[in-house]
Amino acid sequence: MRAGRTGLLAATAALAMAWGTAEAQTRTPRDALVMAWNIDAILTMDPAQIGEVVTDEIVNNTCDPMIFLSPDDESKMEPGLAERWEVSEDGKTYTFHLRRGLTHPSGNPVTAQDAAWSIHRVLHLGFGNAAQYTQWGLAKETAEQQVRALDDHTLQVTVPEPWPPSLFLYVFTGRQGFILDRKAIEPHIGTRADGTSDYGNGWLKTNTACIGPYRLTRWTASDTVILERNANYWRGEVPLRRVIIRHVAESAAQRLQLERGDIDIARDLNAEDLAAVDANPNLKLNAALRHQLWYIGANMEHPILGNDDVRMAMRYLVDYQGLERTVMRYSGKAWNSFAPQGAFGALPPERGLAFRLDLDKAREYLVKAGHANGFTVRLMHGTAFPSPDIAQHFQANAAKVGIRVEIEQMASGQLFSRMRDRNFELAFLGWSPGYPDADANASRHVFNPDNRAEARQGMFLSWRASFYREWFNDAVQRARLERDPEQRKLMYYEIQERFMREGPFMYNFQQVRQLAMRNEVREFKHHAFKVYYTTARK
Amino acid sequence: MTAEVRTDRPAHGGLRAWLLAETVTSPAQARAQKLYLGWRRFASNPLALIGLGIVVTLILLAIFAPLVATHDPFAQSLDRRLLPPSGAHWLGTDELGRDIWSRIAYGARITLMIVLLVALIAAPLGLLIGTVAGYLGGWVDVALMRLVDVFLSFPGLILALAFVAALGSGLENAIIAIALTAWPPIARLARAETLTVRRADYIAAVRLAGASDLRIIVRHIMPICIPSVIIRITLNMAGIILTAAGLGFLGLGAQPPSPEWGAMLSTGRAYMLGSWWLAAMPGIAILVVSLGFNLLGDALRDVLDPRAS
Amino acid sequence: MRRLAGEVFRQASAVGISLFGLLAITFFIGRMLPLDPVIAVIGDDAPQSTYDMVYRELGLDRPLWEQFAIYVGKVLQGDFGVALNTSNRVADDLLRVFPATVELATVSIIIGVGLGIPFGVIAAVHRGKMIDHIVRVVGLIGYSAPNFWLGLMGLVVFYAMLGWVGGPGRVSVFYIDMIEPRTGFLLIDSLLENEPDVFWSAVEHIILPASILGYSSTAYIARMTRSFMLEQLSQEYVITARVKGLSRARVVWRHAFPNIMVQLVTVIALAYAFLLEGAVLTETVFAWPGFGRYLTLGLLAGDMNVVLACTLIVGLTFIVLNLISDILYRLLDPRTR
Repeated sequence: MRAGRTGLLAATAALAMAWGTAEAQTRTPRDALVMAWNIDAILTMDPAQIGEVVTDEIVNNTCDPMIFLSPDDESKMEPGLAERWEVSEDGKTYTFHLRRGLTHPSGNPVTAQDAAWSIHRVLHLGFGNAAQYTQWGLAKETAEQQVRALDDHTLQVTVPEPWPPSLFLYVFTGRQGFILDRKAIEPHIGTRADGTSDYGNGWLKTNTACIGPYRLTRWTASDTVILERNANYWRGEVPLRRVIIRHVAESAAQRLQLERGDIDIARDLNAEDLAAVDANPNLKLNAALRHQLWYIGANMEHPILGNDDVRMAMRYLVDYQGLERTVMRYSGKAWNSFAPQGAFGALPPERGLAFRLDLDKAREYLVKAGHANGFTVRLMHGTAFPSPDIAQHFQANAAKVGIRVEIEQMASGQLFSRMRDRNFELAFLGWSPGYPDADANASRHVFNPDNRAEARQGMFLSWRASFYREWFNDAVQRARLERDPEQRKLMYYEIQERFMREGPFMYNFQQVRQLAMRNEVREFKHHAFKVYYTTARK
Repeated sequence: MTAEVRTDRPAHGGLRAWLLAETVTSPAQARAQKLYLGWRRFASNPLALIGLGIVVTLILLAIFAPLVATHDPFAQSLDRRLLPPSGAHWLGTDELGRDIWSRIAYGARITLMIVLLVALIAAPLGLLIGTVAGYLGGWVDVALMRLVDVFLSFPGLILALAFVAALGSGLENAIIAIALTAWPPIARLARAETLTVRRADYIAAVRLAGASDLRIIVRHIMPICIPSVIIRITLNMAGIILTAAGLGFLGLGAQPPSPEWGAMLSTGRAYMLGSWWLAAMPGIAILVVSLGFNLLGDALRDVLDPRAS
Repeated sequence: MRRLAGEVFRQASAVGISLFGLLAITFFIGRMLPLDPVIAVIGDDAPQSTYDMVYRELGLDRPLWEQFAIYVGKVLQGDFGVALNTSNRVADDLLRVFPATVELATVSIIIGVGLGIPFGVIAAVHRGKMIDHIVRVVGLIGYSAPNFWLGLMGLVVFYAMLGWVGGPGRVSVFYIDMIEPRTGFLLIDSLLENEPDVFWSAVEHIILPASILGYSSTAYIARMTRSFMLEQLSQEYVITARVKGLSRARVVWRHAFPNIMVQLVTVIALAYAFLLEGAVLTETVFAWPGFGRYLTLGLLAGDMNVVLACTLIVGLTFIVLNLISDILYRLLDPRTR
């Protein structure tokens, strides 16, 4: 730390001198990447518990999974900590062969026992990420039998159904597939309120213990995250020594800092500020279409909203093309289906964007539904862009066909808990699927295992919206087990087009991740699922 | 106070002479003279008149919003978003193409409603607690004043934040939260006033006549306290407006698409570099109105307490 | 001196009762919060069994009075629990964020005192003249302007357009984490570590928010100074001194001013306390990593521990500042001795 500081000071002193003469030159150190981002949502650094975008990106740069997604193509898998793997004849047993000679930053060897334990802890802790395993039939009760280390370098995973491998293997590409340093974590293991082990959850809130290109050296909530590169990283040391993430909540402030060279990358710019960056010769934009979808969800228990024609009418109340040109110009692509563009099984563009603003159509459907005179409904949403903008846009169009929408803006924590209690009428929300396949959302938005209120299946969006239809449940289950890709794709087409007419969710936009950066930043890669700090240079 | 005296209207010299007469012939004239002299002192201060002018303008703007607004304050137009001030849109348009001038005009209604409702909740509450504490004395007084002290040991905004977080965001709840922070100084004032009159002969007389405590408080003590309470709450109105704007700014006040000034400012913040008018205009509106109330309050203080001027 | 001790004791017990009241009020406000602290911990898509477990872990299944009793007991031991947002102990977080706010408030009060007192005296001396009106109007604008709005406009003009001051935050991004906090005040720590670059960066960043907060203090202090001064100037001793032929400046600064210093101490203490309130919104605008922003974030996340601790600290600060100014008043003012 001491040596690093001197180097940094020397660099900044040199820069301070240069900056007097050339204003446009960046003021950040050459070997560090400085990023402004709203990091309010960070709660923990434990990969088993993480559930939001910011932390997911950070841990993906501190920990390597068993299988990598290619930095150039999110649908391609590449060997990660597992150098190869086989699937048994019956399609139910997977055997992973870990690379030999790998060590964690602590010096402990990376073993298959570590890998098995890391998966067990995700299942035992039971946070949202556990669903990534349980949806494939892995369970907390049987974790130790289903996931075992055969020796120091061989891991065996057994699932009850012969899932298509292209689908199941995605689970090892995400944060639930990291191999954690069990020996380093063990001294810090505590107990939870019910007396069970916390698997180091408390300690991992603020620490990273895994093999990866960077390690976390500082996290001050709503202020700073600092990553320092690991020496002797197995794939070779990464070019940038430090990544500094600085909490800046406002778009305008981020843009100013970017223009003035106080930061290298701005993460939360709105359409106007992105346009300004686009026009600035010192700055550039770097976009990737994410799989996050924004939607207005309806509660099917509501006497009026439960009517399919009412929701059809509402789908015609958003000016998708107009918004895409203006408010969402840089931030989103208009999209009406649950399978995002780029995912396996997604509808072709002209079928996936099936609706447009059409007040007459909306009125027709309202007449058909028997609500020609309109009604009043409450819409709740969060505070972050673009929720207020789209919600007010929808409200204004709805008023023209007699639907009075009352808007209620609230903190996201409150929003989520109202959804989980099914205590809402309409809600504007976003959702990110875990892997680039139509199944990712079909299994959460369409399929509903048990619609009873007391079943408390809050992790299924379908349950939250009280959407339960046998045909959809069957179709999703069948598609998931279909091993012929062409056939599977067609099955998803059918589900999507029917869901557009019957489903409770009115999808409107798919998110574009825009990185606004200074020209000096080169080779910064990102795609729908990951952002790589490892390739970037300055 | 006989009928003849009351008809003792100025025979010559007109109203002005009557108001300025050296010899006062009736209590009504005395009161009228006091008011008139106060008004003269008030009117001689140009700043006071400016303050009054601003407040009157706010009231007129609120009443006649539909007439002065050039557009529908809620009408959106994606093609006309973020336009700078011009002949068509005097103060420009916002992120959804709504006319900012029209929104500010309608927003005046919300601002006025906030100060009036807060006054209508806080004044009676403070009055009741203050007079009860002052009149009954003893442990009731100690307990109530301790409660007042506890409330006063918080800065208003922080307490309002906590209340509004508990009640949920929204204009009604913001008003309740601000009112809950505005009553303690009024209670203290009412108590002090009550203490000065509770031993007065006429109160004793009423009590001997068999009036209940409640009746004495409501019918005889409260009316005496009301004028100073009204003045006190007027002095506080600028603070109320700023607190409301602060809550709106944090997204805890009025909800979209309501043209509440604090909320408009909060939205405009995201666009302040490219489109400064989104944040500047409602901010100026808040500043001007709060300045108006401050100027007015300042002048009122001067009129009522000549020693301090 | 014994009278003083008795007075301190009386005040202290009053402080104790007030603090208990603070705790009670904020605790029950907090338990009404509609935000779900459990969701904040486990995330949006966790299964119900985890939800129930964390619910118990946070003690939310116990009766309210029991939760309150446990809380008061812990607070007495200096334990405010863990902040959901940061996973740190709230007490540690407060130690980290409070110095940032105190630093900002201190610079602001220096500006407020440095400008407010001279302006107040000048206005009083030139009562009714143009300069008096100007001081009054400029002061009233300081009272009336929403400070978060001034902050935004200040950032646009002085940072974005002119580039005279530093942007949001306490120091430039690449200096973060370079100075080991000793006092927690960056301006002092950077000098102690002999890092002039960091010091200047910190100065650049504090100057705008401190000026904006200092403006409202200036307005308040100038106003009070003016009215205290007017009172003194109408006293006989002033008139006598003037008649004796002493210069006006000498009469004002050497005779009248010392007499109002005692009153000013109270005013300054109060102004300082109100800066804490102003800090809530100003820190949000300037991304200042202080207590105000910590409180706002805790509030929005439904973090009871943070809200309780912060309100308690603010209440305590108010009470203590009042107490100090009371005691100073008694010590300094010959009439109350």
